[in-house]
Amino acid sequence: MTAALTGDPATVPAAAPPTALRRALPLLAAPVAFFVAFFAVPMVVVLSSSLMAGGAPSLANYARVLLDQYHWDVLAVTFRIAALTTLAVTLLGYPLAYYLVRVVSSNALRRGCVILLLLPLFTSNIVRSFGWMILLGRNGLVNDTLVGIGLLERPIRFLGTETGIVIGLVYILLPFIVLAVGNALATVDPTLEEASADLGSSPFTTFWTVTFPLCLPGLIAGVIMVFTLAASAYVTPALLSGGKITVFPMLIFQQYSTVFDVHYGGALSITLLVFTLVLVALAGRIGNGGGNRS
Amino acid sequence: MTSLRAATCCAALMAGAAFAQPAAAQTSLTVAWYGGNWGEAFRACVAEPFTKATGIKVVPEIGTSTVTLAKLQQQKAAPTIDVAWMDGGISELAQAAGVTGAIDPQAVPNLAKVSPEAVYKADGAVFAVGTGYYSLGLTYNTQKVKTPPTSWNDLWNPEFAGAVTIPSPANSSGVPFILFLNKIWGNPANDLSKTFAKLKTLDTALYFDSSGAASNAYQSGEAIIGAHFSVGAWDLADKGLPIGFAVPKEGVWATDARLHLVKGTPRAAEAARFIDTALTPQASACLAEKLYLGPSVQGVSVAPDIERKLPWGVGGSVRNLQLFNWADINRDRGAITDAWNRELARQ
Repeated sequence: MTAALTGDPATVPAAAPPTALRRALPLLAAPVAFFVAFFAVPMVVVLSSSLMAGGAPSLANYARVLLDQYHWDVLAVTFRIAALTTLAVTLLGYPLAYYLVRVVSSNALRRGCVILLLLPLFTSNIVRSFGWMILLGRNGLVNDTLVGIGLLERPIRFLGTETGIVIGLVYILLPFIVLAVGNALATVDPTLEEASADLGSSPFTTFWTVTFPLCLPGLIAGVIMVFTLAASAYVTPALLSGGKITVFPMLIFQQYSTVFDVHYGGALSITLLVFTLVLVALAGRIGNGGGNRS
Repeated sequence: MTSLRAATCCAALMAGAAFAQPAAAQTSLTVAWYGGNWGEAFRACVAEPFTKATGIKVVPEIGTSTVTLAKLQQQKAAPTIDVAWMDGGISELAQAAGVTGAIDPQAVPNLAKVSPEAVYKADGAVFAVGTGYYSLGLTYNTQKVKTPPTSWNDLWNPEFAGAVTIPSPANSSGVPFILFLNKIWGNPANDLSKTFAKLKTLDTALYFDSSGAASNAYQSGEAIIGAHFSVGAWDLADKGLPIGFAVPKEGVWATDARLHLVKGTPRAAEAARFIDTALTPQASACLAEKLYLGPSVQGVSVAPDIERKLPWGVGGSVRNLQLFNWADINRDRGAITDAWNRELARQ
């Protein structure tokens, strides 16, 4: 799955035998129909509306988006928040995954930890973001505690800052990277690490030259998932920004929900999609490189 | 095909107007209204008396005004919603989208009792009727704000720095609020730059994009003063929170929740009867009691404790509300939202 995500050509069958394909078609019909109805069709609707201005085909909406420094600024904020979130999630999630897979020896304990990790996913994003609004508020638990133990003289502002948004996104996206890295770690053959140790490598060298490269495709898959989800997040930034920071998805939502300009809104959507895909493709190339090194 | 259907609809409408009687006790009527305490109030004040009088069941279709408009546009050819509540602003968009039918004064005799400001006409026909006003007034924490504020300029008081909230353009009141401030400050109508410059100096905790986010901010103490809807502010106060609502000397911007008869509904006669029920003094007084909506029906009297919570404040009336022309607001919506994004929604 991770290889398919990062587009590794070596693991994708080049040409399946025609009979196998024919047999697979009925199985594929349902997912293909679903994909067409709920992804391809809406996408075409958005794309075609973005290419219309004043009732005629035109690129004016894209000119309006791309020739304006403001949109580049918002795009930079959006990708900066997504990148910081991805970095924080990786720094927190990688050791956590390593701990769960390699250090926790009891199966029951590991299962318990994974359930704890996944539990928040069962609650709506909106509820969890509202929770952070209360925790991070001026009179919230975080500020009250920091002031109470004397670390701060007066409450710091989290809401309406990029830090606040990043905290909310890290909390929501952490499980994705832990699962992706954990899966990859669990499939690393321990004999390779033993061989490295036998040949005189220190534990760190073994990790850095054997374990880490072998897990890299899993890490890249997790990073891509987290980055795209963070770049396209609406609810968390909208609530935690207090309307004082704008990310691209908020601009899109505004056009569709209150301004009702589907043409401009469509152009904004396609712009965000294209830039995100470009970044994901770049990450995929790095992932390939890591895979080949092994 | 379409013209045939349109002709049938017209015939149905005319038939409905001529014989404004419930067609059959078994029919049900689908009415779009909002969620939460709004929907509860509409059910108790209008739907239940209507069902009691006619035997027609009311099926609620819950959604915000924008969502309702989207549904009406999708089902334009064969509507399943018969009557729809939508707020001012969205109401005009619905009319422009051609999903609202004409409300016939003959079929809705109570229309005559409604204040003329609340009867909305386009091309000589009534397309919407207001069922009650609500305003965006000064809301404050009565424990943290000792002297009740009397002016919108009080928000700039250094005491409240960092603890103020006002609506963002993502909220239905956001764009009209900017035009309202522009007007009370005497700035030229076609130039909002001074208003934006002044707003830029306001040290806010947040700009709220939903009424729920505003209530949350007042409740948690994140905001101790700012703007909020009369309905939401009094709801907090009724729950025992130290929240006050004031109508400042410059006045308040207000709008209303309006009823629409959906164009092409096969149950036009029943729909008209429903609207008529909503315009009775009893229904209007009931909505004032439950939501503190300012009655649009003339001559409705309410208890003094309710009266002070109405959107125009103590001793006011609909004439004290600043009701803007939504056509102007909708025309400038894109440009004002854009200016807001550039001036205020960034660091």
